[in-house]
Amino acid sequence: MFCILRVYAFFSSGLCGSQATEVRVSEVEFNPNFVSRMIPTLDWSALVQAADGLGLLQGLPAELVTDYEKNEDFLRKVHRVLLEVEVLEGCLQCPESGREFPISRGVPNMLLNEDEA
Amino acid sequence: MVFLSIFSRYIPASCSHWEHRSAAYSTMSSQDSSVWQQCPLVVGVETSSQSASDGETDCEVITVTIGATVPTGFENTAAEEVQEKIGADATISKDRGRIYFQITTDKLSQVHHLRSVDNLFVVVEEYDNYQFRDSKEETLEDLQKLASKLPWTNALKVWKLNTSLKKKRGPHRRPQGPKGKGRRGRDFRDRGKANNDVVETDTMETVTSEIEKLQLEPQEPTAGQGGGVGEARTPDLENSPLGEQQEVEGQEPGPKVLKFRVTCSRAGDKHSFSSNEAARDFGGAVQDFFQWKADMTKFDIEVLLNIHNVEVVIGIALTEESLHRRNITHFGPTTLRSTLCYGMLRLSKPQASDVILDPMCGTGAIPLEGAIEWQQAFYLAGDNNDMAVSRTVNNICHIQKKRLDKGSTPGLPIDTVQWDLCHLPMRTSSVDIIITDMPFGKRMGSRKKNWDLYPPCLREMARVSRPGSGKAVILTQDKKCFQKAISRMGGLWRKHHTVWVNVGGLHAGVFLLKRTAGIFGQTPEDVREPLEEQPGKEKPAEEREKEVK
Repeated sequence: MFCILRVYAFFSSGLCGSQATEVRVSEVEFNPNFVSRMIPTLDWSALVQAADGLGLLQGLPAELVTDYEKNEDFLRKVHRVLLEVEVLEGCLQCPESGREFPISRGVPNMLLNEDEA
Repeated sequence: MVFLSIFSRYIPASCSHWEHRSAAYSTMSSQDSSVWQQCPLVVGVETSSQSASDGETDCEVITVTIGATVPTGFENTAAEEVQEKIGADATISKDRGRIYFQITTDKLSQVHHLRSVDNLFVVVEEYDNYQFRDSKEETLEDLQKLASKLPWTNALKVWKLNTSLKKKRGPHRRPQGPKGKGRRGRDFRDRGKANNDVVETDTMETVTSEIEKLQLEPQEPTAGQGGGVGEARTPDLENSPLGEQQEVEGQEPGPKVLKFRVTCSRAGDKHSFSSNEAARDFGGAVQDFFQWKADMTKFDIEVLLNIHNVEVVIGIALTEESLHRRNITHFGPTTLRSTLCYGMLRLSKPQASDVILDPMCGTGAIPLEGAIEWQQAFYLAGDNNDMAVSRTVNNICHIQKKRLDKGSTPGLPIDTVQWDLCHLPMRTSSVDIIITDMPFGKRMGSRKKNWDLYPPCLREMARVSRPGSGKAVILTQDKKCFQKAISRMGGLWRKHHTVWVNVGGLHAGVFLLKRTAGIFGQTPEDVREPLEEQPGKEKPAEEREKEVK
């Protein structure tokens, strides 16, 4: 299933949060090592913004804390937002062009049209 | 027990554990006396006071040799897994898709956790240099005689133990799917198939019909027929093969006949016989020896006769054929078997927090196997095709539900996206490993399409790969096109290693590539001409824009 927040961290598009019509939280095994190694690769402000847009900020700080590797509480918050929250129906929006990509059944459709390619 | 008596005659040194075994049958009924007429060699067996139990409570721990069939080309990977999970050193039959290793029976359940093996069997006997006689008649006669001389005991113990383990694990649901059944037939040919040898794998039809012709009248146990061997009989001699059957079938009342089939695979050009004939004659002798009943489909025991030039291995199967596709319930036209997916993933050596991408995932077989087995990494599965995406989602859901049912956390570190692989919506240098099965141009796409597809595809994969540390593991049968495309990208990709494999009867290559440290867009050969003289479809401006983000 698709978790928009972790995808956002990799993808170049923005999130149109108000249009996430169906969100789900499911349980994924917590792996602190995995999460702490993921963090440096993320666009942190984008992640926070996306989470906020979904109303799932839940104490995630606007700036990355220092020494987060040992901070289990923090890592668990990141884990939740990164791996457990899924947008089932909604859309992704490209911040540059405004182009919207629909999300259906948890799968975003990022195919470009003929003229866009 | 016929085999017991023969065994003790030929290999007296290892007789001691027979005492334990014979005790298991002591509660046999006396009705099988008629069977003894077929078993001329009867030797006294010591009584033991142990009561009947099923095979697993046999406290004797023995060492046996296990054979495993693996996707051809991945023997080393499988041996690594055996070393890692079981701690045993495996012998490899290179490019024949087989490995062998020894275990003690207390570890038997562990072999079923191996994810790189297609099928498992326990070795009854192996001959490195079997002396085949000159004529077909003599050779087949030897094979028939062989049946009664083999050390079946330990192997049968293992088989029985395995059967009781299987019952505990619960029934394995066969995967359904429109193309699923078709693929099983193909994969069977892959087993032990070498590049140049002709391999004949004959099983069911011919063997069973032949055996049924040879089959004696079904044994009706009657009291009166025991006369001939009366004087040789002691209470324990009532332990016969039938007794074993009763034990195996569990709580069923009365003796029940064990059903079996023989599968023979033969490779080599100096044999005077066909696998068909070997299976028939060997099978017939096995049947006579054990008084089992031949049944092609509903067999309890599958005896394997593997002949490769002068190497002969006789084994008893521990798995059923349906286990290749463990993760996939929604098949597509080219779904890879999970053991091959596992082999490819293992080659890539996933590390914790690696981002692993399959840009043309089909039914999601590769990333799904990864998400189950290497959960420390994160998987992105994508395809442009609606049905493929839908099947991937269904397969993932199915696994998650299974996990939930078993009480594990259902969520897996995998996402599915619908995308165009030549325009991946991913940031540059964000991916650690790319693992994929590129279209072969046979069942999917075409050779011509590959010439157009491979170069831009490889470039896009190079873009998203992390320079210096990124890797790609790519399976393709169109080796020529692939190698040519790669040769033009020396600034971005370097060939590290190639594993030659057999996929559905086709000779394919698994190419392990390393991403160079070269920055995308700045390497010397940064031109985007396809292999034929055609203008590229992508616009440079679009490309630059993506990189900036």
